[in-house]
Amino acid sequence: MATENINFESPRGWRLAGRYMLLAVVTAVVLFPVYTTVIAALKPGDKVLQNPLVPDAFTLDGFSDAWTAGHLDRYLLNSFVVATVITIVQLVTSVVSAYAFAMLDFPGRGVLFVVFLATLLVPFEATLVVNRRTVDSLGWLNSYQGLAVPFLATAFGTFLMRQVFLGMPLDLRDAAAIDGVGHLGFLRHVGIPLVRPTLGALALFSFLGSWNQYLWPNLITTEDDMNTVQSGLRLLRSSALDEPNLLMAATIIAAIPIVVVLLLFQRQLVRGLTAGAVKG
Amino acid sequence: MLALVAAGLLAAACGNGETILNAGNEPATTLPVEAPATLPPVDTLAPGDTLAPGETVPPDDTRPPSTTLPPPTTTTIPLADLAECPVDALDEGSGTVELTLWHGLNAESETALTKLTDAYNASQSEVRVELQNQGNYSQTIDKYVQSSQGSRPDVVIFPEYVVQQTADSDSVIPVAACVEESGYDTSTFQPSTLTAYSTAGVQWGMPLGVSNPVLYYNKLVFEAAGLDPEIPPRSLDEVRQFSQQIVDSGAASYGIAVDSGTDSGGGWFLEQWLANEGELYADNGNGRLAPATRVLYDQPPGVELLTYVQQLITDGLAFNVGDNAGGTDTFFKLADESAPAAMTIGTSAALGTVIAALGGGLIPGLTVDDIGVGAMPGPGPTPTALVGGNALFIVKDKGDEKAAAAWDYITYAVSPEAQSQYVTDTGYAPVRADALDVEPALSKYASDPRFRVAYDQLIASPDDPALQGPILGPQREVRGVTARAVAEIFNGGDVQAALSAAATQANLLIADYAARN
Amino acid sequence: MTSTAQRRQRRRNLPVALAMLAPSLVILGTFVLYPLGKAIWLGHQRCDVQGDNCRSNGWDQYWDAFRSEEFQNALLVTVKFALITVPLGLVLGVGLAVLADKWLRGVGIFRAVFSSTIATSVAVTSLMWLFLLQPEIGALSNVGWISDVFPVIKSPGLLRDPGTALTSIALSSVWGSLGFTFILVTASLQGIPRDLHEAAAIDGAGGTRRFWSVTFPLLGPTLLFVVIVLTTRAFQAYGEVDLLTGGGPRPQDSTTTITYLTYGQESVIINNDGLQATVAVLLFVVLLALSLLQLRGIGKRVHYGN
Repeated sequence: MATENINFESPRGWRLAGRYMLLAVVTAVVLFPVYTTVIAALKPGDKVLQNPLVPDAFTLDGFSDAWTAGHLDRYLLNSFVVATVITIVQLVTSVVSAYAFAMLDFPGRGVLFVVFLATLLVPFEATLVVNRRTVDSLGWLNSYQGLAVPFLATAFGTFLMRQVFLGMPLDLRDAAAIDGVGHLGFLRHVGIPLVRPTLGALALFSFLGSWNQYLWPNLITTEDDMNTVQSGLRLLRSSALDEPNLLMAATIIAAIPIVVVLLLFQRQLVRGLTAGAVKG
Repeated sequence: MLALVAAGLLAAACGNGETILNAGNEPATTLPVEAPATLPPVDTLAPGDTLAPGETVPPDDTRPPSTTLPPPTTTTIPLADLAECPVDALDEGSGTVELTLWHGLNAESETALTKLTDAYNASQSEVRVELQNQGNYSQTIDKYVQSSQGSRPDVVIFPEYVVQQTADSDSVIPVAACVEESGYDTSTFQPSTLTAYSTAGVQWGMPLGVSNPVLYYNKLVFEAAGLDPEIPPRSLDEVRQFSQQIVDSGAASYGIAVDSGTDSGGGWFLEQWLANEGELYADNGNGRLAPATRVLYDQPPGVELLTYVQQLITDGLAFNVGDNAGGTDTFFKLADESAPAAMTIGTSAALGTVIAALGGGLIPGLTVDDIGVGAMPGPGPTPTALVGGNALFIVKDKGDEKAAAAWDYITYAVSPEAQSQYVTDTGYAPVRADALDVEPALSKYASDPRFRVAYDQLIASPDDPALQGPILGPQREVRGVTARAVAEIFNGGDVQAALSAAATQANLLIADYAARN
Repeated sequence: MTSTAQRRQRRRNLPVALAMLAPSLVILGTFVLYPLGKAIWLGHQRCDVQGDNCRSNGWDQYWDAFRSEEFQNALLVTVKFALITVPLGLVLGVGLAVLADKWLRGVGIFRAVFSSTIATSVAVTSLMWLFLLQPEIGALSNVGWISDVFPVIKSPGLLRDPGTALTSIALSSVWGSLGFTFILVTASLQGIPRDLHEAAAIDGAGGTRRFWSVTFPLLGPTLLFVVIVLTTRAFQAYGEVDLLTGGGPRPQDSTTTITYLTYGQESVIINNDGLQATVAVLLFVVLLALSLLQLRGIGKRVHYGN
C-alpha cells in the first residue's frame, strides 16, 4: 500500500479550495480527449459528426462493428499472444544472462558486458530494414515467430536483473557456492524468490513495450489476420475513414486491456519504475 | 537541454542545401539545371494533334544547343524475352489452387472487390482467391517491393503510376503473354485503358477499375446561387465564373475546394490537366515512346495552369485544404457547416463511398441526391481524362498452375458481367464497352447519370499514346516532389520558381532511378 | 583462493556462462548488432528498387546526406519536437505529482486520472487526437469560444498549418507520456523521508523553498531517467507523425522527423534501401551523441547520495 505522504501542513480554507480547483481543471484538460473519444464511440454512424461534445445519442454499434468488421477480436488475440510470449521469454533470458554476469566470473565477461551495453544504444529504427529481410528469408513473415523472436532478449532486462543479483547479500552467494547447489538449483530456490518483485516489474515493462509496438508489426504483416492491435489501428485509420464511430470505439477497445493489466499490477509497476530510476 | 540546442544550431550551420538524393554522387551525375532567363513561346501540340510514332514535340528554343535531346527511338521489348504465361496449366492440375491477392482498396471499393471475388470463388472449384488488404496503395507497393519473391502474393493490384517500376522489377508475367497465349479478345476494351498499363510496347497489367478525377458539387448550393443544378462547369474558366457567382450570392463561402495531395491535386491532377491541354508532362512522348529523362511541367503551359489556380485561391474563390493525407479532406470541406465549399475535384472511384456515406446520414443536411457529378474541368474547353485506377498483375515464379489460375481470375474480373456489377457498386468506369450492355450497369447508368461521367470523359479522350499521361520509373516519388511544389504555390509562392525547383528534383529522381535500375 | 585456483575456476565457469548467455547473445547479435553492421555497410551504397544490385556510392554519402536539406530539416524538426516534449513533459509530470502529493480527500481519483494515459499507446493517443483536431468535424473546432480565440483551429486546422502542426503533435505526445512521468515522479516523491521535510520546516523553510532545496535535488536520478526516456522517445517519434500528419503540411514538411524521413510513406527516399540505411545510421549516431552528452552533462549534477 502506498504510504500517503502526509504533509503536516495540510492546506486549509481558500488554499484548500484553490488546490481542488486546480486539480479539477487539470483533470478536465487531461480527460478531454478521452471524453470526446468515448462520446464519438457511443454514437451511431449518422450522428457522430455533429455535436462532438454532447452525448446526444447512444448505441453500442461502434463497438460491435469495431469488434467484428474491424477485426479487433483477432488483433487483440495476436497482441496478447505476442506480448505474453515476449514477456515470458524475456524474463527467462534476462534472469539467466544476469545471473551469468553477476554470479560467475569468467574470461571475457567484461567484453561481453560491453557488447550487451552496445545493444542498448542502437535504436530499433536502424535495424528495421535488415531485420525484415532476415525474417523474410526465414519465412517468418505473417507469423508469431516473426513478431516475437527479434525481441526475445533485452539488455535492459539483463541489466535490471543484474543489479538485483548484485544487491544480494554476499553470504547468500557464498553459501550457494559452498553447498554446491548448482546454478539451476540456486536460481530455483534462492535466486528467483529473491528477485521476484523486480521480475514482476520487468514483466510489466516487457508486456507494455511489446503491446505498444507500432513499426515492426506494420512492417512484417501482409495478412490481415496477423496484425496486432497497433498495426490494426493503422489499417483502420485508412479503411474506416467514413465510420469515425468505429475508429474511436476501436481505440477504446485497444486501450482497455492495458488498463486492466495496469490495475491488476500497479504495485509492480511502481516498484519497477522506481527501481530503474533510482539506480540510474 | 543545452545539448539539444547545440545540436539544432550545429545542424542549421552545417547544411549544404543539396538534396539527399545527391548524397555521395559525383557532381557529373547531376543534371545541368535548366533555368531559362526568358521564355520564348514553346512549340506545343494543339489539342487534337496526334504524334506519329517516333516523332516528338519539337524541342523548345530555350535550351542551349549542347543539351538538345536526340530524337528518341521507340523502344519495345519483344514478348518472347519476357516470362511466359501457361494458360492451360490449370486443366492439368488437381485440387483447388489457392491464390493470395494483395490490394489497397478501401471502403466501398473494397466491398465491391470482395463481392466480385466471392462470386468468382463460388462459381467454380478449381481456384480460390484470398484477398489481403494492405491498407492503401502505398503500403501495397512498399510491402511488395520489400518482400522477397517468395513472400510476394500470387496476384497484386497496383495503381497506374507504378507500371514502369513493376515492369523493371522483372517480377511479374506480362498479361500480354497471357492474352497472346489464350487468344483473349480485347476488341471491346477501351484502348486507352490497355495502353495505360503498357510500356515498351508490352501490356503488363490488366486494368480492373478505371477511375479519373470528376467534379463533385453541391446541387443545393448551386440552386441557392442561381445556377442550374444540372449543369456543372466544364472548364477552369467556367469554374471561375460559377465560383464567383456562388461566393457573391453567399450560397457558400468558397466555390471550390482544392488540395495538394500526391494522388490528387498536387500530383495526379497536374498530369490530367496538362494532357487536357495537349501538353506533355515528360519528354520522349511522356515516357511512352522511350524512358523519359526529364519532366516538362516547368515550361510555360504548366506555369500558366498553376498560376490560374493560384489566382482562384488568392481571389477567395477556392479554398486550399492542404495535403489531404486521408483523401477525404476535400469532401469534408463540402460538409463544413461554417465555411463550406460548393465543389471539389475528386476521384470517380470515391462515388460509391460518397453515396454510401451520405445514404447513411453521415453529413447532416446533405442527402444522396444533393451531390452532383460532372466531368473534370480543365484548362481546355472540353473535359478529357486520363486512365487512373488500378490493374491486376500476375506475379511470376509461382508455378504454372498459379499463373494459369491467376489468368482465370483475371478473365473473370474483366468479363462484362463482373465489370457491370463492379462499376455499379463503386464509381469506377468499366474497362470494356460491352459491360454497359449488361445488367446491372445498364439500368444504373440510365437511372443515375452520375456513374456515366467518368466513362464518358474517358472515351472522349484521344487515344494517342503520347497523350495518355506520363509513365515514369519513379513516378510516385516525382508526384511527391510535385505535390510539394503545388503546396508551395497554393500557399502563395512563386509559381515558376516552385515548378523549376520541383522539376530539378524530379529530373534527379529520374536519373537516379535510371542509374539504379 | 589462490590466483591460480581462481583462474582455473574462471575457466571452468566459461562453458556454463556461455551457455547461459547464448540465447541472449544469439538474439541480440542477429537482430541488433548484425543489422546495425549491415546498415552501416549499406549506408554507403545505392540499390535498385527491390534492394538488390547494391553498388558502392562512396563513404561520402554519409556526410552528404547529413548535410542535405532533407536531413537537416528532419533534424531540426526532431530537435524542435524534443525541445517541446521533454521540458513540457517533465514540468507537467513533476508539477502534477507535487500537486497531487498532498493529503486531500479524494486525491486517489486525481492520481488515477493523471496516471491513466500510461495505458494509451502511440496509435491510440494519435487517433484520439486526430479526431480532436480535425478542423471540419473535430471536437475542438466545435467548442465555439476556442475557435474564436485561435482561428487557426478551424482554418486551416491545427494539423495543417505549418506553424502549429508540430506543436500539436508534440502536445499529443506529451499527453500520452503524462501517465508515465506522473507515476514515476510520484513514486519517487513518496520515497523521500518525511524527516527531511520536517527538518527543513523546523528551520523555517516555506513550501516553495522546501521544494527546491529538499525535494528537487533528491528527485535528481528520477528526473534524469525521465529526461533520457522522453528524449529517446522524441527522437524516435514515428507513429504520431504517421497517423496525424503524414510528414506534415507540405511544402515545409513541418513534421517530418528523422524516423519519418527514413520510413514514411511520402518520403523522398522511400524504397531507396541505400539512402534509408544512411539516414537510419545517422539517427543512431545522433542518438549516441545525445545520450553521451546527456549522461555526462546532466549526470554530473545529479545527486546520488543518501
